[in-house]
Amino acid sequence: MSAVSTRPAARVGIGGPVGSGKTALVERLIPALMRRGVDLAVITNDLVTAEDAERVRRSGLIDPARVAAVEAGACPHTVIREDPTLNIEAAAALERQFPGVELILLESGGDNLASTFSRDLTDFWMFVIDVAGGDDIPRKRGPGVIRSDLLVVNKVDLAPYVGVDLPRMLAEARAVRGGRPVLTTNCRTGEGVDAIVQQLEREVLFRQ
Amino acid sequence: MADAAALLLALQFADSAFPAGGFAFSWGLEGLVADGLVTDADDVADVVAQQLTLRWQSMDRVLLVRAHAANDAATQVAVDRLAEAVTFSAPMRAGSRRAGRALLGVCARLGLPAATAYQALAADDARLGHLAVVQGIVYRAAGMTCPMAELVSGWSLISGFSSAAVRLGVIGHVEALRITTALRAALADLLAAPARPAELPASFTPLADIAVMRNHRRDLRMFAT
Ligand SMILES: Nc1nc2c(ncn2[C@@H]2O[C@H](COP(=O)(O)OP(=O)(O)OP(=O)(O)O)[C@@H](O)[C@H]2O)c(=O)[nH]1
Ligand SMILES: [Mg+2]
Repeated sequence: MSAVSTRPAARVGIGGPVGSGKTALVERLIPALMRRGVDLAVITNDLVTAEDAERVRRSGLIDPARVAAVEAGACPHTVIREDPTLNIEAAAALERQFPGVELILLESGGDNLASTFSRDLTDFWMFVIDVAGGDDIPRKRGPGVIRSDLLVVNKVDLAPYVGVDLPRMLAEARAVRGGRPVLTTNCRTGEGVDAIVQQLEREVLFRQ
Repeated sequence: MADAAALLLALQFADSAFPAGGFAFSWGLEGLVADGLVTDADDVADVVAQQLTLRWQSMDRVLLVRAHAANDAATQVAVDRLAEAVTFSAPMRAGSRRAGRALLGVCARLGLPAATAYQALAADDARLGHLAVVQGIVYRAAGMTCPMAELVSGWSLISGFSSAAVRLGVIGHVEALRITTALRAALADLLAAPARPAELPASFTPLADIAVMRNHRRDLRMFAT
């Protein structure tokens, strides 16, 4: 018997459209969580290459053995929602390999506004959009925007350059989400990342 | 009509929507396409027919029938060790175990005691969990007769390949239907003769095996195998 006495790691999903900054956020979350002593592992669902997994492994931020890549067979939705079994097995394997791991970040492959994580896979999931994708994204009410536990609006630094009215975009996001959390980040500088970490500490690590 | 409950059980497990990770495996097809060895519907039909007759029939089916008949853990493990020994390449073994463990995992969550028990064994032994063996164990636990388990396994192979071929862009949905229709008949012919579990499991699909080995190291790939 594998006698793992610790409690299972929290699974946290990170979804969102292509290029919105999911990996950039992972790269910011890793050091921020580690500074708080959180025992971490990462799973990426790369679509065609192992680029994101390799990028995180080479980042020097985390032991490369703690980064697993799960192939999606060209089905980024399926592997996190309809059939998350391969991700579930990958998370279980990381737990076996690193007893005591407290949190597993799961980056979805870049997808579209309809992508959502299965509750059987994740305890908490966030959806990352960026201002450069347009301020009409929240209004379009994609299931990712609406149903995620946390909506992250990234690349706020770009708002002035792409003609986005950020306050209005955020107000609309909060409205379509019925007031559930919306946070902003600039993953180039790390601005806003602490607020996400605090949210995770409260919601999934039960530290506060 | 055959027993509706038995048919529905088979349909459920053979459904491409059955959540056991099958969609992420192309078993060499992706590599064959990348190397230009599979370019059209005829090529896909050839590959799947070969997989069915020169791999599934002579290897997977034998392993599945032995695992289905196994009445204790030691026998199940012995079949799994055999699967490990007769699977030619490391990436193929890894793929077979990943697919098998996904099926085992979901069946354990479904509450099948045999799946839970075997999952506990596999958790401590990285070499256990080959797909055909797990199919034999969990299909039996779910209530399938051995012939029905063989049918579900064979059909999963055919539908998995054709679906991967569609996603790889080599065939369209109608060609996929033509291929699965033709291979349905081929599978029915194979199933008409009893399995031969006493034979040593063996396969001869060198091109696909090499493709799996090569694909493993490729930068551009969407599938686990
Ligand atoms: N200006 C600015 N650029 C950012 C920010 N966050 C990420 N980027 C850039 O946006 C691009 C895409 O970032 P990634 O982190 O790769 O995005 P992703 O969502 O992981 O992309 P996929 O996994 O391919 O879907 C990169 O060039 C990042 O440097 C940000 O807050 N501000
Ligand atoms: Mg990424």
